Amino acid sequence: MLQEESDLSLIIAQIVQKLKGSNLYSQLERQAWASLQRPEIKLESLKEDIKEFFKISGWEKKLQNAVYGELSVFPLPSHPAAPPEHLKEPLVYMRKAQGSWEKRILKSLNSMCTELSIPLARKRPVGEQKELLNKWNEMGTDEPDLSLFRPVYAPKDFLEVLINLRNPNYENGDSLSFRTHLGLIQIPLKVKDIPELKECFVELGLNTGQLGIDDSTQVPPELFENEHVRIGQKVLAEQDSAAAQQYIRQGSPTALRAELWALILNISSEPEDVLYYEQLKTNVIQHDLLVDSLIYKDVKLTASNDDYYFVFEDYLYQVLLCFSRDTSVLSHFAYNSASPPKSYIRGKLGLEEYAVFYPPNGVIPFHGFSMYVAPLCFLYHEPSKLYQIFREMYVRFFFRLHSISSHPSGIVSLCLLFETLLQTYLPQLFYHLREIGAQPLRISFKWMVRAFSGYLATDQLLLLWDRILGYNSLEILAVLAAAVFAFRAVNLMEVTSLAAAEVMRNNRRIIIWCGIPVYTLLKLE
Amino acid sequence: MSRILVPCHVKGTVALQVGDVRTSQGRPGVLVIDVTFPSVAPFELQEITFKNYYTAFLSIRVRQHTSAHTTAKWLTCLRDYCLMPDPHSEEGAQEYVSLFKHQSPSMTFPKWLSHPVPCEQPALLCESLPDPSRVSSEVQQMWALTEMIRASHTSARIGRFDVDGCYDLNLLSYT
Repeated sequence: MLQEESDLSLIIAQIVQKLKGSNLYSQLERQAWASLQRPEIKLESLKEDIKEFFKISGWEKKLQNAVYGELSVFPLPSHPAAPPEHLKEPLVYMRKAQGSWEKRILKSLNSMCTELSIPLARKRPVGEQKELLNKWNEMGTDEPDLSLFRPVYAPKDFLEVLINLRNPNYENGDSLSFRTHLGLIQIPLKVKDIPELKECFVELGLNTGQLGIDDSTQVPPELFENEHVRIGQKVLAEQDSAAAQQYIRQGSPTALRAELWALILNISSEPEDVLYYEQLKTNVIQHDLLVDSLIYKDVKLTASNDDYYFVFEDYLYQVLLCFSRDTSVLSHFAYNSASPPKSYIRGKLGLEEYAVFYPPNGVIPFHGFSMYVAPLCFLYHEPSKLYQIFREMYVRFFFRLHSISSHPSGIVSLCLLFETLLQTYLPQLFYHLREIGAQPLRISFKWMVRAFSGYLATDQLLLLWDRILGYNSLEILAVLAAAVFAFRAVNLMEVTSLAAAEVMRNNRRIIIWCGIPVYTLLKLE
Repeated sequence: MSRILVPCHVKGTVALQVGDVRTSQGRPGVLVIDVTFPSVAPFELQEITFKNYYTAFLSIRVRQHTSAHTTAKWLTCLRDYCLMPDPHSEEGAQEYVSLFKHQSPSMTFPKWLSHPVPCEQPALLCESLPDPSRVSSEVQQMWALTEMIRASHTSARIGRFDVDGCYDLNLLSYT
């Protein structure tokens, strides 16, 4: 059999095996059994009749959506000889760098534990459990003393690690070259140039209608908006994930966004999902984790201080505390270059049967982590649905923003894409900023790590995140970052220090039309 | 049809350089790896598997002994097979690669790759979707692999993170 056909069989086998463990599989089984009662199902043509029934009743569509979801998330099966680490990250030096970075984080967390004499995890006494259960919906009113806690790391610490990444096989020679000395990222990853970006983001071209631009009050709605909304309603009626993903590239109407995102992410709120969330809540009540204090601190420092998001403070605790207890998140480490931290039950150090992951979901939050959840609170008000959406967004996209990998949507590639775009198309600006000690990446890094959450007005941000979902890629973040610089190029040429450049950037909101700066950049050619 | 690993001896790389003098600036772009097969019995080579490390293009030449009387000839099986689409970037730099034997009617070799594998191979692929029943029978063959994958997955969705109700932890482990 040809190699390509065997690859296809392998992909199918993997997807089948993955879906077999899902709710959808048991539902399909139940439906198939129930359908035997129906008159149109005949024994002679059982297989065909059941397939036909699934098609008519919409179950085939659900299965298609599930398969499409798996294909979007899971990387293609790699070579049979490749070990699991290769799937996480193919480049050995990147894996090593990620390992060192993780070790630093572990050390930092351990020293915090030792200094504060607080265990990583403990079971709550019954009285404390009752108390927490009573104030579950208003945890924001709590004012615990968090002064001794500090975030494990901030984005700027992470940036320093990325700046120091080196490929041991890459030699620049002694001579000066643009690549080595102008930008901060020194890794020769392949990033798209403008022609390739134009091809990739073809729906963002000037000739295609966009929400956020072509639905402004000056533009008559008959020209674009009405038709776009109508198509969106049709896509939702068809319940087709792939169509929704294609549709949302031009932006989502506000009224349809919550449903469209749920369709693309393949989230349906079944009773099992609500039960699962309740189970996580029980886990939060029963066990107290050090990570909880980090979450509290982060929410208090970031989202609670934000004009748009402070109202959602309670929701954020309800989502993030449960997220830390969710072991299903562990499965994403198969394709994440990071690995979950390990610990041992007290007194059983070294005994594998007492080895556990900490926190249970393997993700240690950093400063600003809660900002990944905050914008979603505008879309979803039911906690278990909000939770599912966030979890799916995290395991599909956000994890790439804070782990070291060579993936095209990984933060290293995004940084390099940003720097390359700026150097290539705005060399004067780049040079000027460098000369005044304001390397552009130092300014834009925090925007990209947070996917612009907290740096864009919420309606703008949601339009941006529409495109992340639509293109299944985070590259748009680097393009937007470069476009912002392009948009403000004239002003930036006049600043004379990093501080001034930062002030220009760090207005709480960069109030710009999300689409226009992207066009500005995309038509630079 | 079962396949077995053929024992082979991979010699160290030799740089191809013009002239004898090795200067620090003259970095050779071509390295040669000799592979010999100590086993005497003839075999049909089906697949060569290796892990790349920053090689951009690969050529394979084989020396075949046909009989005791004729001298051994060198044949090029593969010329400039592309492993890295852009040699200056990381794409393909550390990937695992397999090269397969393809039947060529004009040559009958008791061993070795019998037909060069051209870079344009993707054009040989069938454009249409494969036949579902054939694919499903191939899926059966892949089942051993999925069983192996399944063994490494926890099946329980509502996974417990504690050990017998206990989750008292002191410090994180570095190993």
